[in-house]
Amino acid sequence: MSSRGEDVFPGGIDPRVLPDMTLREQSAHRVAATVTAVFAVAGMVWVLLTDVLVYAVSNSRVLIARIENDKGWIFISLASLLLYAVTFRGAARLDRVRRLTAAVIRSIGDGVLLLGHDRKVAYANPAALKMLECSASELIGMDVGAFAKRFRVSYPNGALVPPERYVSQRAFDEGGPLRYKAILYPNDGTELVMISTAAGVRMHVGEPAMWVVSVMHDITDSDRLDRIRDHFFASAAHSLKTPVAIVKADVQALLPTASPRQQKVAASIDRQCDRIDRLVQNLLVLARARSRTLQFHQREIALRPLVERIAGEGVWSYRHDVRLDVTGSPSLHADEERLGLAIRNLMYEATRLSAADSPLTLLARPEGDRVAVGVRYQPIPWADQISHVYGEYDDIGIGRSVAATIVEGHGGSISEDYDEAQTTSWIRLPAETGVHA
Amino acid sequence: MSRTNDVLIVDDDPDMIEVIELVLHDAGYATRGALNGRQALDAVAAAMPALIVLDMLMPVMDGWQFAREFHARYGPHTPIVVATAAEHVDTRGGEIGAADVLPKPFEVSDLLRVVARHVQTPRPLDA
Repeated sequence: MSSRGEDVFPGGIDPRVLPDMTLREQSAHRVAATVTAVFAVAGMVWVLLTDVLVYAVSNSRVLIARIENDKGWIFISLASLLLYAVTFRGAARLDRVRRLTAAVIRSIGDGVLLLGHDRKVAYANPAALKMLECSASELIGMDVGAFAKRFRVSYPNGALVPPERYVSQRAFDEGGPLRYKAILYPNDGTELVMISTAAGVRMHVGEPAMWVVSVMHDITDSDRLDRIRDHFFASAAHSLKTPVAIVKADVQALLPTASPRQQKVAASIDRQCDRIDRLVQNLLVLARARSRTLQFHQREIALRPLVERIAGEGVWSYRHDVRLDVTGSPSLHADEERLGLAIRNLMYEATRLSAADSPLTLLARPEGDRVAVGVRYQPIPWADQISHVYGEYDDIGIGRSVAATIVEGHGGSISEDYDEAQTTSWIRLPAETGVHA
Repeated sequence: MSRTNDVLIVDDDPDMIEVIELVLHDAGYATRGALNGRQALDAVAAAMPALIVLDMLMPVMDGWQFAREFHARYGPHTPIVVATAAEHVDTRGGEIGAADVLPKPFEVSDLLRVVARHVQTPRPLDA
C-alpha cells in the first residue's frame, strides 16, 4: 500500500485487469450459481418480509391487493436493475479482457499468426504483416500451400521446407511448442531469417488442437552479423596460413647452414608454426561449423599411411618417444584432411598432458564394423587441472571440440580409456567400406 | 622450348616465391617467379618450364583461370603442383587436373620431394 492508501502493483499493472490464464472452467458456474442463489434468497426474503409487514398494518383486501401489485412492480424494477448491473459488469469485463488481449498481441514485436481448425491463417498481428510484407486481406484465409508458394520457406542450408513440415502445421498433430530456424522470401530480393515457434491451443489436455499459435522471431540482422563474423573469421584464418607458411619455409631453409644452437631455435620456431597452423585449421573448422558450412570431402582412405605420416611428424617426437601400433590395414570412408586434424588435436592434447620423454603411442585397428584410432599417453599427475587452469577455449579445449565435431560429423565418437598408468583417447568411426585385416 | 630443370613458381606473395626459389635453387633447380596467372602465361610463352608450382587465390588471373588457359594453349603435358592455403587441397588440385598438391604451410622436405617427383635431374649445386 502506498502512503495515500492506493494499491501498488508490480510494474503498475493491476492483475485484476488481466485475463485469468488458468483455464478454470468451473469459475463461470460458480459465479452464476452464486448470483442466482443471492437473487433467489433476496427475492424470497423480500416476499416474506413485505407480506408479513403488509398483513400486519392492514386488513383491507383492496389496499393489500394494491400494495401486492406495487410490490410486484418494485420487484421487477429492482430485478431489472440487478440484471442490468450483473450483465453490464460481465460484458464490460469480457470486453476489457478482449481489448487488452488484442492490444497485447498487436503490440508484440514478433510476428504472431493464429491458424484456425481448418489450418488457414485466421489472424495476423501487425508485426507479422510487416515481416511478411503483405496486407491482412492477403494473409487471412491463406492455406499452407498458398503460404509456401508466396513465401518460399527454406531451411538455413537452402533446402525448401515441405509445407507439411512447417511447425505451424506439425503443431496441429504434435502439439508443441515446436521450433526451427527458417528463411522466408516475402518479396524478390528480400530475405527474412527467423526462428519460428508454434504450439497447438487446446482447452483440455489430450484434445486435438483447436488452433495453432505461430510466433515468428526475426533474426535477420543478428544472423547477417553472425555470417559476416564467421566469414571474417574464416578469411582471417586463411590469410594467417600464408605468413605461417613463409616463416616455416624460411626457417627450414636456414637449417642446412645453421649452427647447432641456431638449429635448436629454428626447430622451435618450426614447431610453433605447426601449432599456429593447427590452431588456424581448428578455428576454420569452428567457423564453418558455426555457420553450418562445414563440409566433409569423404572418400575411401587407408588409415595406415595417414597415422604413419602423423606419427612421423617432428612436432611430437622432439619431446616424446612416439610409437606406432597399427593392426591390419583398416580403411574407412572419411575426409582425410579433417580426420588428420582430429587425430593431430588428440596427439597435441596428449603431449600437453603427459611428461617429456614419456611414450606416446598412436594406435589404429579394426573393431568389428568400426575403425578405432587411439592416442595413448602417460598423464602427468596434474593433467586434470589443465583444463581448469586454461579454460575450455585454450588450444587443448578448442582442439578437443573440433575433434568431436569432425568425428561426430563422420558418424563416430570420441571416448577415453583409463588405467593406473595411462590414458587412451579413442576415435571410433564406422568402417562403411569394410575393414581389411 | 622446355627447360629440363626450370620450375615456375606462381604466387601472389613475393616472399613465398622468394623462399621457394631459395630452397629449389639450393637443391639445384632453375626457378622463375610470377605474381599472378597472367604473368605466368607470359613466362610460359617465353620458355616452357618443367614444372609449375601454382597458388590458387591470386589477383588479375587466379589459379583456376590460369590452368584452364594453360591447358587450352599447351595441353596437359607440363605438370602443375597446386600449393595453396585453402582447405581441401586435394579437391582444389582435382579441379584443375593438378599432378600433385602441396598444402600450405608445407615442410621443405615435402616441397623437394614433390618437385623431384616431376623434375628428374637437378643441375649440380653452384659453388
